[in-house]
Amino acid sequence: MIELGLLGLMVVAALSAVLIYTVVGFVPGTDETSVLYPISLALVLTGAHPMIVLTFFIASIVTLNLTNAMPTALVCLPGGVMSSPMIEHAIGIKAKGRSAEIIPKMAAASAIGVAISVPVALIIANLIIPFAQNIRDYAAYLFVFGAIFLSLTSRHKALSLASIIPLAMLFMSLRHLYWGIGAVPETQVVTVSFFLGITIGPLLVSLFRLMNRGMLKAVEVDDHKTITVPADTNQKRTLNPFKVLTKEERRHASLSALIANFLFVLSPVGLTILIGQAAGARAKREEDRADVTMTSMSALIQATYMSGIIIPLLALGLALSPVALGPGAALFNTPPYFTVENNIHHILTGWQFTVVVVLGAGMAMTLSYLLISRYAKPITMFILRRIPHEAVLGVFVAFIVLLAYMDAGLINIFGVLLVGLVCGTLNKMGVNYGVQFMSLYAAPTLIGFLLGVF
Amino acid sequence: MKKKTLIEIWGDVVAVKSLVISILVITVTTMGAHLLAPRDDRTLGLFFGLGGAILGFVIMTLTLKPKRHVIDEEAAHRD
Repeated sequence: MIELGLLGLMVVAALSAVLIYTVVGFVPGTDETSVLYPISLALVLTGAHPMIVLTFFIASIVTLNLTNAMPTALVCLPGGVMSSPMIEHAIGIKAKGRSAEIIPKMAAASAIGVAISVPVALIIANLIIPFAQNIRDYAAYLFVFGAIFLSLTSRHKALSLASIIPLAMLFMSLRHLYWGIGAVPETQVVTVSFFLGITIGPLLVSLFRLMNRGMLKAVEVDDHKTITVPADTNQKRTLNPFKVLTKEERRHASLSALIANFLFVLSPVGLTILIGQAAGARAKREEDRADVTMTSMSALIQATYMSGIIIPLLALGLALSPVALGPGAALFNTPPYFTVENNIHHILTGWQFTVVVVLGAGMAMTLSYLLISRYAKPITMFILRRIPHEAVLGVFVAFIVLLAYMDAGLINIFGVLLVGLVCGTLNKMGVNYGVQFMSLYAAPTLIGFLLGVF
Repeated sequence: MKKKTLIEIWGDVVAVKSLVISILVITVTTMGAHLLAPRDDRTLGLFFGLGGAILGFVIMTLTLKPKRHVIDEEAAHRD
């Protein structure tokens, strides 16, 4: 049984997550991993009970995934990486002056995504548990297969494949450098700050280009960005998520969310694009296409994240999905609290896990749904008028510097810079995050292959 | 007055000079706070660092103006 005091703290954790990530989500351009990882890491490092940590994390992703869609729909600035595929449709909908209509629809679809993926992911996880040991034995190879598989399913197959081993070389050479000069003990494998280096890479490349006069000229603009915030016409609309959506939108959102659960090892943003576009293409009337795509994508964003964290954590205890490898990394491996042999997977019973996920997701979805339905516009106006983009970018850079320093000292700040520049350049050329993350995790095995150890 | 160099980066417009100042200030407050924490305490170190990041963010938010013209269609209609 869960004692009352612990349950109270879990409620507080969920509420704090909703508060923090409602604000963060509305700020345009906040990358999911960079905002989810440091705060969940901080919570883990306090030594908080694993149930509290998991409640907080689940509530964080549900809230962030919903609120990120708001600046996207209202002013066509993506709230995060996951909402960037919606932009083209958001622009069309806004041009027709229908932004205020699409927001409650997206919120309702998002709720459907959570409502479907939580039980389905829990069921899939329970089905996998009997095979967990077999999967774990081959985990090292799974990352190699993952890197190859994600390359083959990406748009630039040859380019991605060709990048895998050079990337593995980069990560391993930095690790060996740190070990060799004694920056970190040989027992410590620097991973998380390299991960963040990959995430922040494209931004670092953009910042470096500013130091080249010609490239600076290319991105120069004459005036401030003009942003029109559409009128919020139907304030008194219904809050019942089932009445907000048409039957077609409901069906596509539900089906998309269901499919995504089975593909939890793939990149969430990739799945959102793939399945979301497919759903939109099947809309019966041309004029409904944008709405069907936007609502399906809203459901998909939640479903990919929920399954991506629930299945690996409950069934395996190994970070075997892009969500678990990135934003959720702190839950799998933060010594001494969580290690690969003893993390939330090993500490919580299946029953505790289920209670936590249902409570965290349920509370966050309900609260952020109500918040969004009523206050999407005033919050957006406030953020756009008060929060300078410079400060947001500044915080990202500062986060990376801090986490790099904490991981392996001063030298690692430059190590992460190097990782960021290489990965950001490859990213801009077309090697997606998924391939890069998998290469990072497959690096020791790949280098082993090269030596012929295996 | 010299005209500021405005650029578009990550979907929004910033002034180059403000961006550089902002990155420097927030990094300094973050790392400064982090180094104030006891060296052997990883938890406090992270918390001090995050606190420093928030402090820097607030300072820059109060000193810089967003480079956006925000037009509220609702208000425009009422006029």
